Amino acid sequence: MTGVFVSALILKAEAPETESGFGERIAENQRRVFQIAYSVLGNSADAEDVAQEAFLRAYQKFDSLREAKKFRAWVNRIVFRLALNRRRGHLRRLTRDTAWQITEALAMIDGARDAEQRVMLERMRKQIELLPDKFRSVLQLSLVEEMEAADVGAILGIPAGTVRSRVHTARKLLLEAMK
Amino acid sequence: MKATCDKWKDEILEAALTWATSEDFEQHLRSCAICSSELDAARAHKKGLDELLPLVARGAEPPADFKARVLAEVATASEAKRGWRWQLWMLAGATAAMVVLVTGMAAYRRMAQTIPAEDLATVQKLAEWQAPSDGLLRTPGQEILKTMPRFGQSYLNVAAKTDEEE
Repeated sequence: MTGVFVSALILKAEAPETESGFGERIAENQRRVFQIAYSVLGNSADAEDVAQEAFLRAYQKFDSLREAKKFRAWVNRIVFRLALNRRRGHLRRLTRDTAWQITEALAMIDGARDAEQRVMLERMRKQIELLPDKFRSVLQLSLVEEMEAADVGAILGIPAGTVRSRVHTARKLLLEAMK
Repeated sequence: MKATCDKWKDEILEAALTWATSEDFEQHLRSCAICSSELDAARAHKKGLDELLPLVARGAEPPADFKARVLAEVATASEAKRGWRWQLWMLAGATAAMVVLVTGMAAYRRMAQTIPAEDLATVQKLAEWQAPSDGLLRTPGQEILKTMPRFGQSYLNVAAKTDEEE
């Protein structure tokens, strides 16, 4: 029985250290992680939920993610995946939605300065949604601050050169659609 | 756009995005007002796109207390995890104690069932022992009374003496 009490004491003693190191990682990554989620989902409430979920998952694996670079790459990947899953759920709901729910979804878009910009941004988001998957993902991720082509490539499993060429094509398709 | 200008469609988009134009396209632009205005419109759209596109990802900021909220969630989760691990340790300890108890009891019972050879010999001697009084209690009639007579037979199965014998 002594073993039980010893292990309980060890767990209690190591917890604060883990949480303080983890706090630093949140501070370093929160902005980017939030933006990745926001670029996919388009509203801050969902983006915040998804970003929080990503950090909680990272905490569960924190022993193997102590290194800052490793943590950054892992959390980028996981938040993007979680955001895509949530968006799929939203799209499923929207398919069976009534008009008032769609209106509510439009009202949830934030970040635009005025009504006109809000409308334009919404139109652009819709056009981005219509892009083929491979172009949409690179475009959304490349718009996030501090995300180099190599970072985007690491999330999607493609070379940086491919990322650059797909971003260019995505912008061209978008420009044509927005004319 | 004229049908003949369709082939410059992609060049217009490329020129709007990169500002790079081929010599052929430059020449065409000088002679085609429609393509020229198309290019101006595309460049204006591109400018609008450049303003709006960053908002797709950077249109909102995480809340100021985001880190605190995540850490609070982490604390709750790790508390639950700790509780769960503690319960696991308790269960493991209880199981180990049960195993030790059962094994100990089994070993004790096995030891208790084994009778030492010396004790066994003593018990056998005791079983074979007869009290001296058993011999004294024997009577002549004991042999006669060993079997139960059948129906109609004499209880005392002793041959009657005849006169001649007397």
